[in-house]
Amino acid sequence: MLFAFCVIGLSLSGKRGRTSYGSGAAIYFVAPFQKGFTHSIRFVKNLWRHYFFLASVAKTNDALKRELSHATERVNQCNETELSNARLRSLLNFRETINRQVVAAEVISKDPSPWFKSILIDKGSSDGLKKSVPVVIPEGVVGLVTDISTHYSKVLLLVDQNSAVDALVQRTRARGIIKGGTAGRCLFKYVLRKHDIVESDIVVSSGLDGVFPKGLRVGTVSNVTRRNSGIFQEVTVIPYVDFEKLEEVLVILNLPRYAPAYYDHFKSGVSER
Amino acid sequence: MPCLLLFDSFYDLLVPLVLYLGIFRPVSESVVVILFIGFVMDNLSAGPFGLYVAIYLWLFIGTKWIVTFLHVANHFLLPLVVALGVLLKNLIVLGALVMLTDSRFPDDLAATVGKQTLWAVFTGAFFLISFEHVQKRWENRIGKLFVKKNGDS
Repeated sequence: MLFAFCVIGLSLSGKRGRTSYGSGAAIYFVAPFQKGFTHSIRFVKNLWRHYFFLASVAKTNDALKRELSHATERVNQCNETELSNARLRSLLNFRETINRQVVAAEVISKDPSPWFKSILIDKGSSDGLKKSVPVVIPEGVVGLVTDISTHYSKVLLLVDQNSAVDALVQRTRARGIIKGGTAGRCLFKYVLRKHDIVESDIVVSSGLDGVFPKGLRVGTVSNVTRRNSGIFQEVTVIPYVDFEKLEEVLVILNLPRYAPAYYDHFKSGVSER
Repeated sequence: MPCLLLFDSFYDLLVPLVLYLGIFRPVSESVVVILFIGFVMDNLSAGPFGLYVAIYLWLFIGTKWIVTFLHVANHFLLPLVVALGVLLKNLIVLGALVMLTDSRFPDDLAATVGKQTLWAVFTGAFFLISFEHVQKRWENRIGKLFVKKNGDS
């Protein structure tokens, strides 16, 4: 009986559309408590998120910073590898154009004095190097091996004042000697006054010294002075090679074919002894 | 010191060592060291062989001579001593360069020598004092070791 009464009452109230009687009063009294409770829960939640939870955020931040620094270092290594790759490809392409036996070497140090220009490379007699073999890079002539040990060698650079390379002007074939000068420049000496040389002429190795193969780039003429006296003109040459940025070089092991006759005679004289 | 732009024209760091040997150490100890470091530098440099041995020996002889009548061990005079040593070294090198080869004086001569001398004035005394300090600590340590060994025996 009671059950039936409940069912009838519920169905009647459902049909009327009104949910309850006196809901406004109930809400009026209950809502403030609900509001206060909700605010309390929210306050505690915010307190946790902004203070206590930040400790783990700080740890995460530190870990991420370490990962970032590792990633930055890896990117830097990749950049270095890319640049080294480009240099070595250029060196390899250049090497294939030289029809001689060559050895690639890395520059390991410079001359300790600012007045002399030389470098040490990481190849020596065990790699086939001998004294007076030429050293080049794709840009041009670097210098000459002057001292060797088993695994290292000293190279006298083109810009050293003791260096000398037999060279000629590519355009007019005027011949002279490239000697190291000051401030990274070279002097093109013993060039006769009658020869036509102008600024921006290209100077290449003549091959007549029996050391450097013919046709290797040496530098560009930057200044020509013809004095009233003397039979030679003063020519300044800017070398193509940037000696401050040398990192890898090529050493040419077998001498060029166009060795002068007196050199062959000298070699045969030495072998007879 | 290569590859560092700020130290591109730094002076030879072995000059303060030679001056220290000349001022504070006896001849018997110093000559062997000077000959050795001069030999090594001659092999590393493209200059005439024997140039660095000659430079260091002359610096050592000059220092020994000055010490006989001037109290250069005074810490206030040390920067001047190192600067003079660097100047003398450059003088000998440039003299050899010009006399032994047909070279001219480098265009950047004044700038390079000036920079090296200034660096020597500001940092040279530091090296000399450091060498003296390290030598004293080494001697103290060796002395204590000997005392301990003699005490044990």
